[in-house]
Amino acid sequence: MSARLWPLIAAALLVLGVLLSLGTGAVWLDPALLAGSVVSPKPSLPWLILWELRLPRTLLALLVGATLGLSGAALQGLLRNPLAEPGLLGVSAGAALGAVVAIYFGLAASFALAAPLLGITGALAAAALTLTVGRGGTLTMILAGAAVSGLMAAGLSLALNLAPSPWAAYEITTWLLGSLTDRGWDQLLLALPFLLAGWVCLATTARALDALTLGEAQAESLGIDISRTRLLALAGTALSVGAATAVSGAIGFIGLLAPHLVRPFVGHQPSRVLLPSAIFGAILLLYADVATRLIPTTQELKLGVLTSLAGTPFFFWLVTRLRRTAP
Amino acid sequence: MSTNLCSDLLLLMLVPKERIASITHLATGPAAVLLPGAADGVPTNRATAEEVVAQVPDLILASPWSATALRRLAAQVNAPVVEIDAANSFADIRRITREVGQAVGEPARAEALVAQMDRTLAELAATAPERPIEVVAWNGGDAVPGQGTLTHAIIEAAGARNLSARLPGAAAESFGLEELLAARPQAILRGADRFDAPSLRDSSGEHAVVQAGFAGRQIIYPATLHACGLPQSAEAARQLRTALERLPPGDVRW
Amino acid sequence: MSTPQTRLEAHGIVVRRGGRTILDGVSLVLEGGQFTGLIGPNGSGKSTLMAVLAGLLVPDAGEVVLDGVPLARIDRRTLARRRAYLPQSPRAEWPLPVERMVALGLTPHLPAFGGLPAALAARVDAAIAQFDLGAHRYQPATTLSGGELARAMLARALVGEPELLLADEPLAGLDPRHALDGIGRLSALAGRGTLVLASLHELTLAARHATRLAVLREGRLVACGPTAEALTAGMLHEVFEVNACVTGAGTRTASVDFT
Repeated sequence: MSARLWPLIAAALLVLGVLLSLGTGAVWLDPALLAGSVVSPKPSLPWLILWELRLPRTLLALLVGATLGLSGAALQGLLRNPLAEPGLLGVSAGAALGAVVAIYFGLAASFALAAPLLGITGALAAAALTLTVGRGGTLTMILAGAAVSGLMAAGLSLALNLAPSPWAAYEITTWLLGSLTDRGWDQLLLALPFLLAGWVCLATTARALDALTLGEAQAESLGIDISRTRLLALAGTALSVGAATAVSGAIGFIGLLAPHLVRPFVGHQPSRVLLPSAIFGAILLLYADVATRLIPTTQELKLGVLTSLAGTPFFFWLVTRLRRTAP
Repeated sequence: MSTNLCSDLLLLMLVPKERIASITHLATGPAAVLLPGAADGVPTNRATAEEVVAQVPDLILASPWSATALRRLAAQVNAPVVEIDAANSFADIRRITREVGQAVGEPARAEALVAQMDRTLAELAATAPERPIEVVAWNGGDAVPGQGTLTHAIIEAAGARNLSARLPGAAAESFGLEELLAARPQAILRGADRFDAPSLRDSSGEHAVVQAGFAGRQIIYPATLHACGLPQSAEAARQLRTALERLPPGDVRW
Repeated sequence: MSTPQTRLEAHGIVVRRGGRTILDGVSLVLEGGQFTGLIGPNGSGKSTLMAVLAGLLVPDAGEVVLDGVPLARIDRRTLARRRAYLPQSPRAEWPLPVERMVALGLTPHLPAFGGLPAALAARVDAAIAQFDLGAHRYQPATTLSGGELARAMLARALVGEPELLLADEPLAGLDPRHALDGIGRLSALAGRGTLVLASLHELTLAARHATRLAVLREGRLVACGPTAEALTAGMLHEVFEVNACVTGAGTRTASVDFT
């Protein structure tokens, strides 16, 4: 019924969100001043804040959110599991571990690509482990995800434990909470190629995900290469979530929420969920990031904390609904 | 025996190293920079209660937040514990230096160090610039030092104006990039020590606008002398004055 | 349909799993227009043979040949266009509308990107009409009754107009009316030239509708031939270890009574 309405809603929410994100921050600037800075002589304070701080932050929120929404939708389609999500499958924790190792053991300082590359490696390892151990049902997969998350968290605790200085330990913990504060063009450009490559991998699985609605045997009989599909989804998730996490820290629940949010509008066909889920993932994270700036707290409210706080009740609701519908 | 980095350094300045049972392992790096050679051969500890029993020192320098187990065992081996609290001003430094000097039986040495510090401060005050330069000690937005911190005192002593003075205490309150840009400091002070471990700021965390916007307007300060109240903290103020004098004239470009 | 005489041959198929031999040298020939019933007791290897014949499972020995070309050498998309396969109790994992679920059968015919071309959309309409699913067209497939789902799955399998249909126990769990309806449709399909192979447990239905029977026992093919010849009391005794009375095998009034 609302199949034709959602693009309009999405576009309106996107425009509003971007304007809010560009307009809010620790320093209040008159929107007219901000807009005027585009044409006025540079550098000016409004221009620096707009171009160097708020714009990259806004774009990163959109890119990271879209990554989480897209990979959540793809994983749910691949596993035919409504609880699948990079966070719950341990992929985010794996990516965080990889990035922490890169940052705190000095690799990232000498080689800029170390953080995204190790993030991707960690994500890949975690995803492969979860998918191998957790084959055979919704519950098994979630349990495997919990186990892998636990393992990666143990690795992170170890990194904290062995942190070269108390200051580094403090930084690791705050970074793990997930945040887009003061991220710049550098980080955006560093992550972008990996994000795009991951998106392409995930997008090419669309047709296979549809066929998988009929189960693996029928999908295979329809000419789908199941192992290739699995590999593409795995690589796509690892590339995009790994690179995104290396920039923003671990951000949970967007990947779970976005697909469920759009299904009532676009139907349950996995291929039709992918793009809307990416778009709503971007919207959700953008608004969450704006909220961290608007909610007055003495300490900065971390983005990952906010998404977890807002996402957990939804997760509970999903679990109780599954308990009612599944045996 | 000293169980805290700040008292380690104070102890190294006040007594000959033969009289030191041990200092913490944290002190070796800073001591090598601030007091070259002073810590060579001095045993190190990890501030555990077991080491108190093993070393049986005559006196233990501790911080107010040292482990209670350490205090209990210290009482059992009859070693008095002298608590050194954190210094947040030059007055604190005078008091603490004299306290430790008393405790270790070197009051004259302590007085000399304090007098030296006060001479430096007086000199700086006499030659203060007419228009104070505006600065912020900024290390990534977390824990920007405001009013009532030693860093604030050092900045004032150097004849500069701390723009984050509106923040109370060693503010963990956020002072983000946007506020930094809006405050338009003429220089930002970056805490660093040569023995610093790699951190987020070194790699992906540092925003390009800081490097570009404050090119030539970044002053590295010895973080240890701002964290620990030592008579040498006056030297940090003198270094800062020198660095400020070398700044390019005028304001930031925006 | 397209080729009048589709020919699927299995030569000495052997499948081993964990030290057990599940299929032990099975050879058979299936042709277009035949409706072959695959019968045998539980665990005799029917599903495994189905999967091997469909090209979904590579046998440890032997090969399956379609019109003279080994399955292993046929591109998976080409094979998917020619052969349809229905596993045991198929189900939809997402609540797709029936219409969209049926359209999934066209997956191997679709271009790499983009939606359903108009010509193919017409085939979906035809399949929905042919399998009497008009009333359920927009209903989520997960809410269909057993009989409706079986019809919808059959429509899904046949929408691509395959030359071969391999259906693993398509009548399992259906009440008599729906079972009769289902087997009637399979039989009619074979009548139009399609090669149909279905594993069946209902021996009377097999006796009435299947033109040929293939009988498996412990991984070996013990009989294969026209229903009238293959379905005998002796065979049933040997394979199923039951005493049965078979009358009129291969005709519409056949019956298999257990005594």
